[in-house]
Amino acid sequence: MASSSSSGLTFKLHPLVILNISDHYTRVKSQSQSQSPPSAVNGGETTSPPPRVFGCVIGVQSGRTVEIFNSFELLYYPSTNSLDRSFLEKKQELYKKVFPNFYILGWYSTGSEAEESDMHIHKALMDINESPIYVLLSPSINHAQKDLPVTIYESELHVIDGIPQLIFVRSSYTIETVEAERISVDHVAHLKPSDGGSAATQLAAHLTGIHSAIKMLNSRIRVLHHYLLAMQKGDIPCENSLLRQVSSLLRRLPAIESEKFQDDFLTEYNDTLLISYLAMLTNCSSSMNELVDKFSTAFEKHIIRGGRTAFF
Amino acid sequence: MNQNINSVESVVAQIQGLSSSADDVTHLHGLLKQSEELLQSESTRLAPFLAELDPSKHSLGYLYILEACTTAPKAKEQANELVLSIARFLNDCAAEQIHLAPDKFVSVCKRFKDQVMLLETPLRGVAPLLTAIRKLQSSSSEHLTSLHPDFLLLCLLAKCYKTGLCVLEHDIFEVDQPTDFFLYCYYGGMICIGQKRYRKALELLHNVVTAPMSTINAIAVEAYKKYILISLIHLGQFSTSLPKYASSVAQRNFKNFSQPYIELVTCYGNGKISELEAYVQANREKFEIDHNLGLVKQVVLSMYKQNIQRLTQTYLTLSLQDIANTVQLNSPKEAEMHVLQMIQNGEIYATINQKDGMVRFLEDPEQYKTCEMIEQIDSSIQRIMTLSKRLTALDEHMSCDSQYLAKAGRERQRFDFDDFDTTPQKFNI
Repeated sequence: MASSSSSGLTFKLHPLVILNISDHYTRVKSQSQSQSPPSAVNGGETTSPPPRVFGCVIGVQSGRTVEIFNSFELLYYPSTNSLDRSFLEKKQELYKKVFPNFYILGWYSTGSEAEESDMHIHKALMDINESPIYVLLSPSINHAQKDLPVTIYESELHVIDGIPQLIFVRSSYTIETVEAERISVDHVAHLKPSDGGSAATQLAAHLTGIHSAIKMLNSRIRVLHHYLLAMQKGDIPCENSLLRQVSSLLRRLPAIESEKFQDDFLTEYNDTLLISYLAMLTNCSSSMNELVDKFSTAFEKHIIRGGRTAFF
Repeated sequence: MNQNINSVESVVAQIQGLSSSADDVTHLHGLLKQSEELLQSESTRLAPFLAELDPSKHSLGYLYILEACTTAPKAKEQANELVLSIARFLNDCAAEQIHLAPDKFVSVCKRFKDQVMLLETPLRGVAPLLTAIRKLQSSSSEHLTSLHPDFLLLCLLAKCYKTGLCVLEHDIFEVDQPTDFFLYCYYGGMICIGQKRYRKALELLHNVVTAPMSTINAIAVEAYKKYILISLIHLGQFSTSLPKYASSVAQRNFKNFSQPYIELVTCYGNGKISELEAYVQANREKFEIDHNLGLVKQVVLSMYKQNIQRLTQTYLTLSLQDIANTVQLNSPKEAEMHVLQMIQNGEIYATINQKDGMVRFLEDPEQYKTCEMIEQIDSSIQRIMTLSKRLTALDEHMSCDSQYLAKAGRERQRFDFDDFDTTPQKFNI
């Protein structure tokens, strides 16, 4: 378990896999918790160790690119430290019918680190795929951590103490999304309150989301800007590939240049500004009205009022 | 006598010695307060001592001596040098030191103004008073000082309206004395009328008319008369009921004092120029007494504008001859002149076809599609946001005010146990 892989394979992970694994884990955890309260009374343990879930990942391998599309769950027998083989083969047949291109690429599990016992399961899968992948999801919630808690391990034959052994090595991966995945991830990320809220809270939630997105964009552009300035001053050695990337990014905007677009865009922009101006004017006049009422109550001498007044 | 002169000299020496740092200056301030009667008694002989002091470094001491100097009534010949020395002082003095004795500063400036008016050269007083205002106000430019109305009065008398306008541009948020406020707005309104900035004049006069007052005062009555006239010139209409935030005293009594003007309004509303002119002719003296005759003549002229604008709402194209007939002008040439003037001022949008003498009325060409419009709206939104913050602060302040709480509590309904409704209700105000 160390260093980085030297196999030269590029891995692409789809969000569906991550969602599946986390869903599997959450389900198992909540089911075990609902069953365990009577048994947790005895013993001094406050929390039992989180359960480990196992499953298979499937996808496509073309050339040097390995794309992991989907995953399914498997039962784990702790006694033999192996996965349910017959079920795996059955599932494989079913998936072959629907997705003829997909192969079993490896397996997944949850936990904070890859363990020695995992190598046993890994070797067992080697007859299906000569170099399986091990996807590890760390379910502990760490708010400070910015990256995804997902690691992909490969196995390599290393000579340690004269004995050739298989060890896990980390590989880097990128996230690849399909349109449908993007929509669902977006939906999960912006879970609305269950009663739908009033129009005001929904608008506020929507605008907060946009605000945080823009803030993040702003901070990242600032980092880039800072980096370019430092490069210009000569503090950092000039890296042409990065410069090319930045320039291609800049050339992506503006996306549309036509006259009609400008017209429509500016009209709509002005309309929105006018509406907010109107809203502010109304707000201001309402507070002014209240202020004037209070002032006249406080300082006017003769106030002719008949009967009961409005209660406020 | 000699003893007093010696004491004065010792005071001068103290001033020269103790004017360097802020602590020294406060110490000096205390000393000067003690020697005030001494200075007052020697007021006639203080002039030579002024020469020993430097107004920019020893501003506080200079101010005290100057103030004592000016208490004595001066003959007209001496007024000239006095004006010169005060003007020099106002230009050179240090603002931080002045802030320790603001009332003395104000009284010196007032006497300066009196002298300048005595000499009948108001123009000489304009620039020094402007610097004086800036120095007195250096804490925030939103504070109304007692010098503002004097300054505006001098601007009016000297006919340099533009300088007056630059002071009027700043919004005022804090006022010390109500008289200052009334005078400031009244003179400010007159300056704006002089510069033909009717909208700002209307706003200032409106402030005077609706300001809180427990009894009516002459300034407000005069302002009300001008308010009627400006509102006719600029807006073409006038409603005799004041808004609800005007004081009840004003709402009841103003009309009694400005009867001829109210009748002018009704005459204007009829839309007939000849009747209007006849009415003006009949009541000439009344308008002249109030020095409002020039404004009244402008009201008559504005009648044409109102009539032409009314035409834009009915017709798309109209010939110049028809315009002349409807508006009761003498010839199409005059009509063309009026329409041209209005197009230039931006009051209507039209094109004149000179070949067949037709005028075509157009819509407002603003499409609200440009970047400049974005900037304009954006700046308006920013202004409103700051204003809104101020209003909320004022509102909170008012809610905590003891007088308000006393009166609001009294008006609260008192519930019997039976009246109490147990079902919760939502009050939307």
